[in-house]
Amino acid sequence: MSLPLVEIKNLSLKYGNYKALKNINISFFPGKCVVICGPSGSGKSSLLRCVNKLEEFDNGDVIFDGQSLKSAKNISQIRSNIGMVFQHFELYPHLSVLNNITLAPIQVKGLSKKDANFNAMKLLERVGIDDQANKYPAELSGGQQQRAAISRALALEPKLMLFDEPTSALDPEMISEVLKVMRDLADNGMSMLVVTHEMGFAKDVADEVVFMDEGKIIERSSSKSFFENPKSERAKEFINKVLLKI
Amino acid sequence: MDFNVIIDNLPFLMKGLFTSFQLAFFTIVLSLSLACLIAIGRISNKKYVRYPSAIFVNLLRSNPLILIVFWFFFLVPLITGRPLPAFGSVLIAFVVFFSAYFAEIVRSGIQSVGSMQIKAAQSTGLTYPQTMRLIILPQALKNMLPALVTECVIVFQGTTIAYIIGMREFLHSTSLVAERTIRPIELYLFAALVYLIICFTGTRIATLLEKKE
Repeated sequence: MSLPLVEIKNLSLKYGNYKALKNINISFFPGKCVVICGPSGSGKSSLLRCVNKLEEFDNGDVIFDGQSLKSAKNISQIRSNIGMVFQHFELYPHLSVLNNITLAPIQVKGLSKKDANFNAMKLLERVGIDDQANKYPAELSGGQQQRAAISRALALEPKLMLFDEPTSALDPEMISEVLKVMRDLADNGMSMLVVTHEMGFAKDVADEVVFMDEGKIIERSSSKSFFENPKSERAKEFINKVLLKI
Repeated sequence: MDFNVIIDNLPFLMKGLFTSFQLAFFTIVLSLSLACLIAIGRISNKKYVRYPSAIFVNLLRSNPLILIVFWFFFLVPLITGRPLPAFGSVLIAFVVFFSAYFAEIVRSGIQSVGSMQIKAAQSTGLTYPQTMRLIILPQALKNMLPALVTECVIVFQGTTIAYIIGMREFLHSTSLVAERTIRPIELYLFAALVYLIICFTGTRIATLLEKKE
């Protein structure tokens, strides 16, 4: 087996007195799509944000691609290899869609404007919104905004993509267009960590499912066995609730 | 009433008005730049940056402008042993004083943008200074523009304080002419009209900017 892309060691995170993550140990391997699920407040989003150190963790370490994040001097440079997609898109409202995507390649990777534009247009074409390039984020639908945000993250050619509830803020009919883009990424071998409540995506697309509760990892299984035969009682309960939510 | 005194003395009065504009302009440009740094200091998570910025802002906002002007004009020369030129000392006093007010406007503007924008920018590998310059400040500026324009009007009105150390700004020039010609009513009416036009225009701009939001 190849070396892990992300290695999380004894990771703990506190918000004031509240322990969001309790001594997490887990590794993720390249080319895999892993869904992290669990009830709200279970620490899944916090865990995701520790992977690119958007949260300052108290204890433990995250090793990304062989580099320790705890002692990293060049955290910005490491982050540029990790794309992130947020629940509320977080596109820059004062910039056009195109400029949202080209900003980091120009500023961080030093690409020329011409090259950055060319790459951005290819990405927008890939997610099906190249006709929206010169509009501002507020002029796009939620689904289009999220696809633009995915393009922004992909523009740095990251080794890993983090998705933090990418469809939770979307109207139902727009969810599928975003999930389609994500499925396409997974099919092309992108390493992905996805926090989501979309169990259909977890079942069909994910290689593995990590189930969290109360700041701890309760179980980790292949997605098939997670849904067919969950190991823990807590996971069984969760699956029943989310699948029978009619 | 004889408004000819105004026309006769217009070049002198306009020179004073120009001085007022100059003082306001340099005060706004310099104090706004300083205010951006102080505002970023105010929201820093490093205590040794945050505390001095907070002390600066609160100290300056708890003192009248006239006292700050006094300090730089009369007291600093006592300490340093040599006088500052009037315009220079007033400008320094104004910049120090108004940067505290501008800093609070900039701070609330930055905080209106929301921390997730910072996280999003940093997730793409932008450094903190790049994030501030390219993502946060441009958005903050848009949010705080009405308040900034209003504060600029206050700066312009504040230039009259320079009168007390004998600087020939507009109000001082007006009073000199008033004394010389013994036509105070006409001249002070004129001064009121000029301040009204300038400040009302500024306030209208602020209101329009607010509506545009």
